[in-house]
Amino acid sequence: MAEPSAPLSRATGKALDAWLRGYAVRVRIPLTASVGVGAFGGLLLILQAWLLALIVNAVAIEGHGLDFVRPWLWELLGVFAARTIVTALTDVIAFEAVARVKLDIRKQLYTHMAALGPAWTRQQRTGDLTTALIDSVEALEKYYGNYLPQMALAVFIPLAILVFVFPAYWVAGIIMLITAPLIPFFMILVGKGAERLNQRQWRKLARMSAYFFDAIEGLTTLKLFSASRAEAKVIAQISDDYRQDTMAVLRVAFLSSLILEFFATVSVAMVAVFIGFTLYYRDMRFLPGFFVLLLAPEFYRPLRSMGTQYHARMEAIGASEQIVKILDTPLPPRNPARNPARPTPPEIPALHIGFEHVGFAYEPGETVLHDINFTLARGERVALVGPSGAGKTTISQLLLGFLRPQTGRISINGADLRDIPDDFWLQRVAWLPQRPTLFHASVIDNIRLGLSVDVRAVRAAATLANADEFISKLPHGYDTVLGDRGQGLSGGEIQRIALARAFLKNADLIVLDEASASLDPETSALITASVEHLGRNRAMLVIAHHLDTVRRADRILVLDHGRIVEAGNHASLLERGGRYAGMSALYQEAGA
Amino acid sequence: MKDLLRLLRLFRPYTLWMLAGIGLAIVVILANVGLLALAGWFITAMALSGLSGQLIEYFTPAAGIRALAVLRTGGRYAERLVTHEATLRLLSALRVWFYQHLEPLAPARLQYYRGGDLLSRIRADIDSLDNLYLRVLVPTAAAAITVLLIFAFMTVFSLDVALVDLAGLILAGIVLPLATQRLARRPGQRAVAIRADLRSGIADAVRGLGELRVYQAAANHAAAIDGLSRDLITQQRRQARISAQSAGLSSLIANLSLGLALVITIPLVAHATISGPDLAMIALFVLGSFEAVTTLPNAFQALGETLAAARRIFEIIDTTPEVVEPSHEAPMPATFDLRIRGLRMRYAPDAPWALDGIDIDIPQGGRLGIVGATGSGKTSLLNVLLRFWDYQDGTVEIGDVALRDLRGETVRAWCAVVAQQTYLFNTSIRQNLLLARPGASDADLCRALRQANIFDEILALPNGLDTFVGETGTRLSGGQARRVAIARAFLKDTPILILDEPTEGLDAVSEHEVLAALETLMQGRTTLLITHRPQSLTIVDRVIVLSHGRILGTPPPLQSTAVAGATLPQILYCGTTR
Repeated sequence: MAEPSAPLSRATGKALDAWLRGYAVRVRIPLTASVGVGAFGGLLLILQAWLLALIVNAVAIEGHGLDFVRPWLWELLGVFAARTIVTALTDVIAFEAVARVKLDIRKQLYTHMAALGPAWTRQQRTGDLTTALIDSVEALEKYYGNYLPQMALAVFIPLAILVFVFPAYWVAGIIMLITAPLIPFFMILVGKGAERLNQRQWRKLARMSAYFFDAIEGLTTLKLFSASRAEAKVIAQISDDYRQDTMAVLRVAFLSSLILEFFATVSVAMVAVFIGFTLYYRDMRFLPGFFVLLLAPEFYRPLRSMGTQYHARMEAIGASEQIVKILDTPLPPRNPARNPARPTPPEIPALHIGFEHVGFAYEPGETVLHDINFTLARGERVALVGPSGAGKTTISQLLLGFLRPQTGRISINGADLRDIPDDFWLQRVAWLPQRPTLFHASVIDNIRLGLSVDVRAVRAAATLANADEFISKLPHGYDTVLGDRGQGLSGGEIQRIALARAFLKNADLIVLDEASASLDPETSALITASVEHLGRNRAMLVIAHHLDTVRRADRILVLDHGRIVEAGNHASLLERGGRYAGMSALYQEAGA
Repeated sequence: MKDLLRLLRLFRPYTLWMLAGIGLAIVVILANVGLLALAGWFITAMALSGLSGQLIEYFTPAAGIRALAVLRTGGRYAERLVTHEATLRLLSALRVWFYQHLEPLAPARLQYYRGGDLLSRIRADIDSLDNLYLRVLVPTAAAAITVLLIFAFMTVFSLDVALVDLAGLILAGIVLPLATQRLARRPGQRAVAIRADLRSGIADAVRGLGELRVYQAAANHAAAIDGLSRDLITQQRRQARISAQSAGLSSLIANLSLGLALVITIPLVAHATISGPDLAMIALFVLGSFEAVTTLPNAFQALGETLAAARRIFEIIDTTPEVVEPSHEAPMPATFDLRIRGLRMRYAPDAPWALDGIDIDIPQGGRLGIVGATGSGKTSLLNVLLRFWDYQDGTVEIGDVALRDLRGETVRAWCAVVAQQTYLFNTSIRQNLLLARPGASDADLCRALRQANIFDEILALPNGLDTFVGETGTRLSGGQARRVAIARAFLKDTPILILDEPTEGLDAVSEHEVLAALETLMQGRTTLLITHRPQSLTIVDRVIVLSHGRILGTPPPLQSTAVAGATLPQILYCGTTR
C-alpha cells in the first residue's frame, strides 16, 4: 500500500504546487519536447483511426477485397511504426526533465544542509533528512515525468479529436463536449472529500502498522510480562477494526472513480447508439460514423487517467513539503564582513583564545549563554562541567565556529573569530564529539578523512590513540569498511578512532566532548592515557562528564543555566565548598 | 513457488472473497472489450441495414451496449470494494500469523539479526506481502482467465484470428514484460546499491557534518554525494529507456495483431464466410483484448518482490524455538533460592562457551552483584535464567525445582527485569505500567511510581499518567525511563529481581535517584544485579566477577565509605581471590 501522507491545508498545497511548477520552468525544453512528441502521437492516433475506418468501410460496406485496401494497410503499418517510436520517445524525453530536476534539487538540498551547519543538523533526525534527500526527491519523478506532460496532453488530445469529430458527426461532438468537462468537475467535487477521507485512513493505517511493529520491537518486554500471547488478539482486533472502518470510508471514496467511469463509459455507449440509429435512417455515411466510434474511447482515455495523475500530483506535493521545509530554513547570518580582506592570519605558534562577554540564544529571547568569559592558551586545559542543558555543548560549538555569538566576541590571538574564515580556523582545530561519527568507509579513510597522508602516518596516529592493536585484528585491518553497513565497533573503539583523527591532524586546539556512557575499566584507562598525551603542548577544551578527567584541568568552569557559576582549579573549588564540591562528593560516592 | 503456495494456504479462509474479487475483475475487462466490439458490430449492421432497406432487430444490441456500459461502471466499483475487503482481511490474517510465529522465537532466534535491520526488513516485507493479492493475484488470474475466454470467443469466427490474438496477448502480456524485467535487472540492482550508498553517505553527512568540517573533508564528501546522485540518474535513465521501449513495443504488438487480424479476415468477408459487421467487431475486439494484459508487467514486478519478501519472512518463522518447553510442568517451588552448578552454555555448537562452569547460590531474598567487562557472560546468564536460551551443561534450580522442568512463561512470571535497554511502548505511561499488572488501580500505579521515585516528575508531565511516551520513550530522559521500568517491577511484585546494568548511561544525579529506588525494590526479593558501577555494589550482599564465562573471584562486599576515591579496577582486582 502507498505511503501515508499527512493531509495538507489547501493553502500549503497550493503554495507547494506553485513551487513545483516554478521548477518546471527550468526544465521547459525537455518538457515541451515531450509534450510536443506526445501531441504528434495523438495526431497519429487519429490518422490510424481514419485508416482503419477507410478499410472497414471499403470491405464491410462497399464489398471490396484485400487488394483494394492493401495500400491503406501499408500506410497503417507505417503509422504503427511511427507510433511505436513516438510512444517510446515521449517517455525518454520526459525522463531528461526528471533527471535534471532530481539532480538539481538533491544538490541544492545537500548544499543548503551543509551550509546550515552541524549546529542545525544536530537538532534534526537523520532519518528525516535522508528521506527528504532521497525518497522525497525520487517522489518528484512522477510530477515532472507523468503529471505535467500528461495534463498538457489531456487538454490537447481531446481537443484535437473534437476538431475531427465535429465535421464528421456533430451530435457526437456535442455529447463529448458536454460530458468532458463534467469528468474533472465531478472528480474534483467528489475527489476533494474522498481525498481527505483517504488521507485520514492512511494515517490510521500508519498508526495500526506502528502499533504492530512496536509490539514486535518490544516482544522481549512483552514476554517478560507474560503479555506476549494476549497481544496477538489485540493485533487481530485492531486490524479488524481498521478493516471495517476503512471499508466504510472506501465505499464513499471509490464513488469518485465510479462517476468518472460512468461518464466515460456511458458517453461512449451513447455515441455508439446515436451513430447506429443515424446510419439506420441514412442520415450519414458509414465512414465518418465508424471513424467517430473509434475516436470516442480515445477522447475519454486521457481524461480517465486524470485520477492517476491527480494522485501523482498529491504525492509530489506531499514530498515537496519536506524539501521546501529544508530549503526555506534561513541560513545563519554569515560573518558581517567587517573585514573583507583576510585578517592577519594567526600563524604564530602561540594560541590565545578568549571568550569575551559571549552570549548566545538559539531563539530570540531564549538565551542559553550569558556573559561567558574565559581564556585558553597553548598548553592549558579548560574543563566545562555542569548539568546537561547548562550550555557546555553550545560553548564548544561557538568555539568551533558552528554557531556565532550574538553578543560579545571570541578572540583568537586578538582577532575576532568572526573575521577568520571557517576553513582557516578549523585547520588548527581537532574535535572529538561525544558520539564520533564512523563514515561508511575503510578504517584508514575514517581516520585521515580530508587529509592526504599515507598509511604510515595513519598507523602512527592510531598507535598514539591506542587503536592500532584492535584495528590490526579487524578482518581486513586498516581496509576494513566501517559504518552503519560495515563492521560495527564498540564504544571504546569508536572513541579511539576519533582520537586517531585528532592525533593525525596535529592541531593547536583540541575540543573534546567526553563520551557520557561509561566504558569498561581497561578501555577507559587506555583512552585517558591517550587524551593526556594528545593534550600535551596543545590548548584543550574539555566538556567533562566524568569528574576525574577534570581534576587535572588548569581551570574548571562550572556552568548552570548558561552562566559560569564557579571557576577555579580542582583544589580551589573543593575548598570553596560550593556547587563543584557538592557534585564532586556525589560523584565520589558514585565511585569511578 | 513453494513459498507462494504456502502463502495461499495461509489465505485459504478468505478464498471466497479472493475469488469474488478476481471474478469481478474479469467481468470489468470483458464488459469493456465487449462494449467496443458490440458497438462496432452494431453500427456496421445498422449502416448495412439502412443501405439495403432490410429491417433488423436493433433493440437487443442497443440494450446490450447500454447494459455493458453499466456493467463496466458498476463492476469496477464492486471490484474495487471486494478486492480491498479481501486485501484488508488478508492483511489482518498475515499480521496475526506472523506475530504468533515470531512470539515463541523471541528473543533468542531474533538476536542473530541486527536490531534495526531486522525490524526495517520485516516492515518492508510484511508491507510487500500485504500487496500480494491486489497487485499480483488479481491481475494475473484475471488476465489468464480473460485471455482464455477471449480466445474461445474468437475461435467461433476464425481460428486463425484467435491464434494471432492469443500470440499477441502472450507476447505483450508475458514475453515482453519478462524480457524487459531481465534487461532492467542490472540497472535496477545497481540503482538499489547506489541508493543505499547515497543513503549512508547522506546519513553520515548529517551525523558527521561537524567532523567533516573540522577535518577538511566537507568538499570531498559533497562531491562524493553529487557523484552518487549522478550515478543513480544514469542507472535510472537506463531503466527509463528500457521501460519506454517496452511501452512502445507493447503498443506495436497490439497494433500488429490488429493488422494481421484484418489481413486474415478481409478475404473471409469477400468470400462471405464472415459478415461485414463481424469484421468491425473482430477488429475492435482484437484491439480491446489487450486491455486484459496491461496490468501484467506490474504484477510480474510485484511478484518478484513479494516472493523475495515471503522467502525472508518464512526464513525467520521457520527457525525452531531455542527453548523446548517441558510437557509436564513441575509444581511451584516453596522458596525462591537460586542454585546454579557447573552451568555451561553457548549460542551455537561451534561457538566458544559463553558460560563455562558457573556456580552460584543465592538464598531467597539474597542479593548478588555480578561485575565483568563486555562479553564476560553476564547477559548470557540472564538469558538462561529467563528461559530465553537453553543451556548445555550443569543444573539450574529455583527452590528445589530444575529450571528445565518449568515453562518459560512461568519462570518469567516470577522475575521482574530492569535493564539498560528498557523498552517503553509507544503508548501512554499508564498503558506501559499496566503491562506489569493488568487491572491495577490508579492508586496502585501511583504507589509504584512513588516507590520508584518518579511520581512527581510524571505528575508534572502535560497529561500526567496519560502522557504519550513517543517512539521508544523519547519524551522521557534516560533516568526517567529507567525509573518507569522500576515502577513496572514494583507493580509486577515478583520474588526474583534481575537488574541488568540499571544505572548504565545515567549521570551521577540520575544514578543516585535510580539506586535509591532500587534499594526499596530489592527488599525481600532474590536479586541479581549486573553492573559496571562500584556504587551499585554497595547495595548487594555478595559480588562475583565474571570473565570469559568463568567466575574470576568473589571480592568482599563493598561499603559505601570504602568506595570513595577508588576506581573500579582498584576495587575489583585488589579484592579478588584468584
